[in-house]
Amino acid sequence: MDADRIVALVTAAGIELTDRRRNAKGDGWSLSFSNGATVEVGDEGSACVAGKGSKAVARLLDMPPTPRGS
Amino acid sequence: MKRSYGLALFSSALALSTVASAPASAAQPGDPPDGIAKIETVVVIFAENRAFDNLYGHFPGAEGLDKASKESLQQRDRDGSVLSELPPVWDGLTAKGVTPPVTQAMTEHLPNEPFTVNDPKGFNVPLSVVTHDLWHRFYQNQMQINGGKNDMFVAWADSGAMPMSNWDASKTDMWAIAQKYVLADHFFMGGFGGSFFNHQWLICACAPYYANADKSPAKPSIAVTDASGTALKIADNSPKSVRDGIPKFVSDGNLTPDFYAVNTMQPPYQPSGNDPAPGGDRLLADPSKPTTLPPQTEPTIGDMLSLKHVSWAWYSGAWQYTLDHGNKTPIPNFQYHHQPFNYYANYAPGTEARREHLRDAGLAGVSFIQAIDDGVLPQVSFYKPQGNLNEHSGYADIQAGDRHIADVVAHLEKSPQWPHMLVVVTYDENGGIWDHVAPPKGDRWGPGTRIPAIILSPFAKHGYVDHTPYDTTSILRFITERFELPVLHGIVVRDKAVAAHGEPPLGDLTGGLDLN
Repeated sequence: MDADRIVALVTAAGIELTDRRRNAKGDGWSLSFSNGATVEVGDEGSACVAGKGSKAVARLLDMPPTPRGS
Repeated sequence: MKRSYGLALFSSALALSTVASAPASAAQPGDPPDGIAKIETVVVIFAENRAFDNLYGHFPGAEGLDKASKESLQQRDRDGSVLSELPPVWDGLTAKGVTPPVTQAMTEHLPNEPFTVNDPKGFNVPLSVVTHDLWHRFYQNQMQINGGKNDMFVAWADSGAMPMSNWDASKTDMWAIAQKYVLADHFFMGGFGGSFFNHQWLICACAPYYANADKSPAKPSIAVTDASGTALKIADNSPKSVRDGIPKFVSDGNLTPDFYAVNTMQPPYQPSGNDPAPGGDRLLADPSKPTTLPPQTEPTIGDMLSLKHVSWAWYSGAWQYTLDHGNKTPIPNFQYHHQPFNYYANYAPGTEARREHLRDAGLAGVSFIQAIDDGVLPQVSFYKPQGNLNEHSGYADIQAGDRHIADVVAHLEKSPQWPHMLVVVTYDENGGIWDHVAPPKGDRWGPGTRIPAIILSPFAKHGYVDHTPYDTTSILRFITERFELPVLHGIVVRDKAVAAHGEPPLGDLTGGLDLN
């Protein structure tokens, strides 16, 4: 799943995109949403959800959330 | 009572103690009516994300869809040409998990005109169903309004045809309440864009500021605008036509190029979307996160009320629940950026002002309703329903919020404080949804799109549609006049800007009242 697709699915559910930037390694995107969730999206298609609101976002993306603190 | 505007506040550096009221003078044109002191209690209920035409487009006597010209109902493509048909709603009209869904394919080939979501001959989606959210952002809203023509809502949306959606709300509880009291049909959102910004306008009439943002973690969130300064710079790879997809911009950030925060940032204090810094104060949000807004210091209406010893509170649904248990979805789905005072240093954790004024409304507003029933509301109350009851597209439906707010109104009407009460039920902004009436020309921040507003009071005119031009700051105008407060700087700027454009002045809500 690419970053545009993730943004489309999450924002359609009323969860605003609040930040989008290339990650420090330059191999993917870091996305932040208004419910506190963050999604790390690799250019190769990997994705990892964390932060407050991660359960809601993971559900929208049909993904398991990353445990808090990991 | 004479207009008693004190000195406007021109910066946060001006200590509140220096504010002085102007001496009383002879009545002037535009003064509030003598009977304004009959209102002893003001209640503001702030719902979410509905344009006027979206809910009240067919309200009898209002300037609704029935009075709109055919041309004003049409949308244009990004090159300015009139669309032959609307694009589909990308990813479908209904929210994820809704059954039966209204898919993207089912929304193909809609005529270039508004459509009614719950039309039995159309999609027939009831008011109890959650639908697709839409961009509702600072620059996109201005691009969509397009100088007042309102013909680019689809062009600069992320949801295809969705901005042209509306509902037959004539059977809702709030429609009946609007028929009983006053529906304001020229009430506009105070700022362009979304909830974060318009909650700030409700309490401050100001744009929050991020000092030295270009040297901060938020630097990549600085928007890139075109030469107009009111529109985003379009990316080279942006689809040229609405039929080809969602537009792309060079940088669609939260901050203006001169560092004002106009799209959603997180509060610097908990509850915030951002966790505390590792090892840091548990009551704060991590300031190193790019979306954490530094504490704000601009004067707010709360500061003005406190200055004049007027009691007030911001009642937030699920506030304490979220602090104690964390947020849960779909209920209560607390929204961090809907709590405007939580961005201000004056209401930081540990302050007496926070304890006194930032109150928990309880789950489903139960504590707020108890205060109503007990007749112990402060002189000014703001009520923010929890997320699932706020009518926001994407995660809330209209029916649940409408019934909740109508229930709150029913309690207000029975309150011991009702005989001298004014209630305003309005929405923070349009939620990206089209409306056909041009907003008044104002300053760089707004007003934006027209939204519904209902004025209730024993002194409200009955069964009346108030055509007076208002915006969100009109609520502040009423509070300021009634309690003889110093005027917030943003109101002064707004009034001057509106006058400079030759627009009629924005009202103070008394057009809907009969105080004599």
